[in-house]
Amino acid sequence: MRIGYLVVLLAGAVFYSYVAFADLNFMTRTGRLGPGFFPRMIGGMAIVALIWAILDEMRSATPQDEEETRWSDVLVLMVLAVGYAVLLRLFGGFVATVIFLLVALALLNRGRHITNVAVSFLVPTGVYLLFDQLLNAGMPPGLFEIL
Amino acid sequence: MNFMAHTAARRIFGTAMAAAVAVPLAFAGMAAAQDYPSADETLDWTIAFGPGGGNDIMARSIVEILNKYDLYPGDIKVENRAGGSGAVGWGYLASQAGNPYGISTTSGSFVTTPLQADTGWAPEDFTPVALLATDDLVLVVNGSSEIQNIEEFIAYAKENPINIGGTGTVNVDFIVPTLFAQAAGFEFDYVSFNDMSEQTTALLSNALDAMVGNPGEILGLIESGDLRPLVFSGQNIPDALAGVPTMGDIGYDIGVSMPRGLILAPDAPAEAQEWWIETMKKVVDTPEWKEYIASNTLTPTVIYGEDFRTFLTKTKNGFEEVLKSVGAVQ
Amino acid sequence: MDIFSDLFMGFSVAVTPMNLVYLFAGAMVGMVVGVIPGFGPSAGLAILLPVTLGMDPIGAVMMLAAIYYGAMYGGTITSILLNTPGESATVASTFDGFPLAKNGRAGPALVMQAAASFVGGTVGVILITILAPLFGQVSRSFGPPEYFLLAVMGMLTLIVMIGENWKLGVISALIGFALGTVGVDLETGQSRYTFGSAELIGGIYFIPVAIGLFGLGELFYAFYNGLHRTGTGGIVQYDKEERFWPTAQDWISTRWTMVRGSILGFVVGVIPGAGATIASLMAYSLERSISKAPEKFGKGEMQGLVAPETANNAASSGAMIPLLTLGIPGSASTAVLLAAFLLWGMRPGPLFMEQNPELAWGLIASMYLGNMVLLAINIFAIPLFVQIIKVPYRILGPVVVVICALGTFSVHSSFVETWIMFAAGFVGFFMRLYGFSPAALVLALVLGPLAEEALRQTLTISRGSFMIFVERAPSLWIIGVTVFLVVLLPLMGRFGRGSGDAEKAGG
Repeated sequence: MRIGYLVVLLAGAVFYSYVAFADLNFMTRTGRLGPGFFPRMIGGMAIVALIWAILDEMRSATPQDEEETRWSDVLVLMVLAVGYAVLLRLFGGFVATVIFLLVALALLNRGRHITNVAVSFLVPTGVYLLFDQLLNAGMPPGLFEIL
Repeated sequence: MNFMAHTAARRIFGTAMAAAVAVPLAFAGMAAAQDYPSADETLDWTIAFGPGGGNDIMARSIVEILNKYDLYPGDIKVENRAGGSGAVGWGYLASQAGNPYGISTTSGSFVTTPLQADTGWAPEDFTPVALLATDDLVLVVNGSSEIQNIEEFIAYAKENPINIGGTGTVNVDFIVPTLFAQAAGFEFDYVSFNDMSEQTTALLSNALDAMVGNPGEILGLIESGDLRPLVFSGQNIPDALAGVPTMGDIGYDIGVSMPRGLILAPDAPAEAQEWWIETMKKVVDTPEWKEYIASNTLTPTVIYGEDFRTFLTKTKNGFEEVLKSVGAVQ
Repeated sequence: MDIFSDLFMGFSVAVTPMNLVYLFAGAMVGMVVGVIPGFGPSAGLAILLPVTLGMDPIGAVMMLAAIYYGAMYGGTITSILLNTPGESATVASTFDGFPLAKNGRAGPALVMQAAASFVGGTVGVILITILAPLFGQVSRSFGPPEYFLLAVMGMLTLIVMIGENWKLGVISALIGFALGTVGVDLETGQSRYTFGSAELIGGIYFIPVAIGLFGLGELFYAFYNGLHRTGTGGIVQYDKEERFWPTAQDWISTRWTMVRGSILGFVVGVIPGAGATIASLMAYSLERSISKAPEKFGKGEMQGLVAPETANNAASSGAMIPLLTLGIPGSASTAVLLAAFLLWGMRPGPLFMEQNPELAWGLIASMYLGNMVLLAINIFAIPLFVQIIKVPYRILGPVVVVICALGTFSVHSSFVETWIMFAAGFVGFFMRLYGFSPAALVLALVLGPLAEEALRQTLTISRGSFMIFVERAPSLWIIGVTVFLVVLLPLMGRFGRGSGDAEKAGG
């Protein structure tokens, strides 16, 4: 699995370096270090380090014990987090938070409906009072206003 | 969301000065002949930067004056919509074309941000109300420098390599000295800094030969003799810099400055534009406004309506030309 | 010297019942603002600045200053309890603060951070009181060459942060450097890696990355490890019999750490632009590199929490020096204080303390009082905060996601930054999982842009010559200190702790 992550990073490093070489100048026209100087160095070094790490990984290819169960809950939480990010944009801070907490707690804290519903409404209300009313900081506004 | 509309508590915290005055109800008289502005509509005032900055202080000063003199009949909701060097806040206003109740103040980024990024709006798209003041720059050297005045500076710069520091490159800090140097016939290396503090310490530590900056931020150092002012880019010398020549005085007028003005959403109704022009004429006459101008060492430069749009277009084109010539923008 | 008469005058101005109320209110608000991830002192100050406009300047500046250092105290609480830094200066406090909490020592960790904050803050004020003019000279001697050398010195601390697998550590740092190049290039004004987005013109902001990497990343990792299944327990095995107060050993082992952290933090804070974040990271690295048992760092070593905490509070005091002696704000927070001075019609600058002695000394006196008030508030509030970690993780987890997201959004009201926070959370989880070093990433993200900008400014000023670094006295000083730290200290340390134990790190 780690090797897969390294390959993804390598792809990122290649893209980063491509932009550095294609769009950004190494030197300015007055002969000073240009905007591309450091990105080219960083990109080049990253590619070298990543290839090295990938080769290392292939040599010592000890299969890691990946338990399916370990992944199940974290994947649920990750999908929920992505969904929350989308909901925030669509429905704004309060509604998105209520929906997210209701769903997340229903999946992760099964069976305790009263606690879950209470938390799902009390937390966003508390945050709203603190941010919007006391600190004047503002919660995310939604594209669609349901409330 | 509805409950995000302001409440008493919010206003007390958000715009304390606005809240200091009771909500005016009885003073719709001055605009009686027109439908605009309606006392039932809340004015949605966008500040495209966070609290505490120059744009924020200007917007809140105007709102304070509007409230103090009961110039606006309805409620005013002031909201900081910061992000993307103003792109977010002004983008929000741009999306409300035709709405007479969306308003915002401008600053330098209003011209420069659209040059740098794909904002989806241009300065001249908005309904112009008024240019109220301009931010101008003073050229200073270290107080221990041998250079005593601008003539000596130009003479020195023609003979020796010099550098001038400023804040940012896509900025009036770069454009003003560049145009000035072209006019006066010398060359220099521009050193770009992130903020005024870094460039000021660089000058105080003798790393820089000279720098440009807003006089308001360095008046204390000028007063104490740590920095020596040489020339000012505005049309009129602020009191605090008495004795310093303007660039025009020495024959190198460059005519570029940062616009601090007021705009409505694109294609706002003509009566709204007209109402705001008339109202701003009252605002700039108040002692509070004069105090704001003086304490921020701005140059009062007032032009209204379409002339402001022309000014914005001219400023934008001037900036674009200089920045393209050095490759800072495409 | 009539320091004492000045200070006495300051206390006489500051100690009025109304001013003490403002001070207390400011400290409380600052604590709350600091505890919320994302909200740092500068955001809190900026938001509350309008409230103070109608007040008398001395009361107002006392309240603003109290918000400022109150936030510095509060920022650490979530670092310790949730691994989510409240603001950038408390990122380093997560490194050992959270492991301490996981080991069941949340109470002592919180007490020690309050004590460390108090020591750092108070030493800072003492240094302001007696040596302000001297340090004023330090802050005016920093030009681009010195900033570059400072950044290089900071990067040496990367070596300490890099962790067990050095290749992955280097990759982590390079990711940080790469993220640091996003935004408008300062020198040429060209956009780099913004792909036309206005949101990215200003670069990738540090706070969303730190909150995501540490807060959200740690949360995912905890779920991966099944912490949420552990019955009724919270995040950590908080034991009821566990002592609330630190042990004598905690105090003894950290006494010199507090001294070092205070002085290092203050000096770095005095330098405009360097600030509390760099001070805290450097203090952490320094402590780890001279420790006799560096392998304990990252696993719940009290010194590893105390060092950044004293440093960031001392730095926030140090940042007052350029403000008071030069009228230059050394940090985002002092920039808001400067705006407040301007709004009251004062003119900050070298003559400020002479022209406004009552305000300047009243402010300094209030900082002594404020630190005491905050210490008391902290001690009182800690038992309440400790309750957080008794909440079962399966409930706390989703709530932490909410707090991270809304806290990040509130800083700049930016959806893009909120998404960056989520993305950083995913990256952070995989970095934890596969043995990378998130700490190296954040440090590189802070120092990379500083180093690049300062080097390019330096070379423009020197017209391409590197000789400038040895021609300026302040540069030579920094080079000297760096050599001392890199060459001599480890040698002494190694000598002291005997041979054999290779440097091992957890990051």
